[in-house]
Amino acid sequence: MDSDMQIYITISMQIFINPGAELSIYRQIMRQIVESIASGQLPRGEKLPSHRELSERLVIAPLTVKKAYDELEALGYIETQRGRGTFVCQSLPKVDRSEHLDKIERAARQLLSLAYLGDIHFSDLMKILKDQDSEMMQEASRVKEKA
Amino acid sequence: MKPVLEFLNISRSYKRGVVVLKDVSFSVGQGEVVALLGRNGTGKTTLINIALGLVKPERGEVRVFGMSPKTNAAAIRERIGYASEDGALRGGETVGELIAFHRKFFRRWNDALENELLNRFGLSRRDRIRRLSNGQQRQVGLLCAVSHYADLLLLDEPAAGLDPAARREFLETSIQLLNREGTTILFSSHHMTDVERLGGRIVLLDQGTVRLDRDLDRVRGEVCVAIVPRALAPNGDVFQHAAGCLRVRAAQQDWHVVIEGAPDDVRARLAGLIRNERIHCAAVPLEELFVELVGSERQEDL
Repeated sequence: MDSDMQIYITISMQIFINPGAELSIYRQIMRQIVESIASGQLPRGEKLPSHRELSERLVIAPLTVKKAYDELEALGYIETQRGRGTFVCQSLPKVDRSEHLDKIERAARQLLSLAYLGDIHFSDLMKILKDQDSEMMQEASRVKEKA
Repeated sequence: MKPVLEFLNISRSYKRGVVVLKDVSFSVGQGEVVALLGRNGTGKTTLINIALGLVKPERGEVRVFGMSPKTNAAAIRERIGYASEDGALRGGETVGELIAFHRKFFRRWNDALENELLNRFGLSRRDRIRRLSNGQQRQVGLLCAVSHYADLLLLDEPAAGLDPAARREFLETSIQLLNREGTTILFSSHHMTDVERLGGRIVLLDQGTVRLDRDLDRVRGEVCVAIVPRALAPNGDVFQHAAGCLRVRAAQQDWHVVIEGAPDDVRARLAGLIRNERIHCAAVPLEELFVELVGSERQEDL
């Protein structure tokens, strides 16, 4: 791996873990990798750090990283190519639309309650959503250009 | 997984008949990392000393690499690395003398690892032990514990009393050893975040028995805490008999029920028991779970 690639991976794979949180560490890793894939920060075909690399970077047991990777592989987000490493899949798993909509509705309720608490109007909330959307798109296209 | 360390129905009491361990059984597999948890005085150190062959169990048997410390003490000690909180560094005035003293006990010694760790810790062989910080002394202890190609590390609160940065450095080294050498580790600790970083499995001792023995990754998904106002259930026994109940504890106006299951299922089950929906149920971090399982009751306000 050349040094350029190394920097690129650290930029696209920023994972933060919080051992005291309610979510277990391997689930925190899974969630962040899926989010990075969804936002395009971690493009399809991208190589992920090895178990050992990520375990030493995050200061967690290598088996915890393995568990996160194994589950992501079983879900069809990443694949291990023997002798080459682990990569983001070229074609990502299809999500169950109705199940996914349920999740989004729950998240929307949380978001709305948060906004109401802070006296934030619906129109302001919409603006925040739009801004975030364009920011994420820009980030994704920057990552693509670099690749 | 081949067991490296097996405790089989271990019982042990102190002089004057105070029971420390009651019928404790669990094993640690090759390459596994097991965190031994429990309040002070619950027998963690005694258990580790039994594995080292320093304390003999009154009942039960311990097997290390398939052998008994009774008959194969030397062969076992050769392959074990041990470090503890108060691990007095005896055998030399300087780091170099201490290492020289330790390596005499072992047939093999990993010079490369010794040099690498000295570099990493920023230690010189000429450094005087007494002048080192608490954290540095612990690092020297770890170096001596691992440099003879130990297959099994027994760490008795190895990072107790260290500041957060020193603890993190200690963890970093342990994790690199795990990655490189595939060492099997049994360690005791009161720092739950360290346990979550390093541990694969937890064994929680309470009053001399194993209260919980489970993979850390599964603890959060499988065990949760329900909070029920005591006004709704004057007698906590109703929960005690619920399937999968691990503990019911009075905490001021509420019952805290530690119980197996996902929060939504547990809430529905308990609500059925008391015919009331006012139950709060959540998966909790390890530190909270520890307190809920072995903490004392809080019946009254001060």
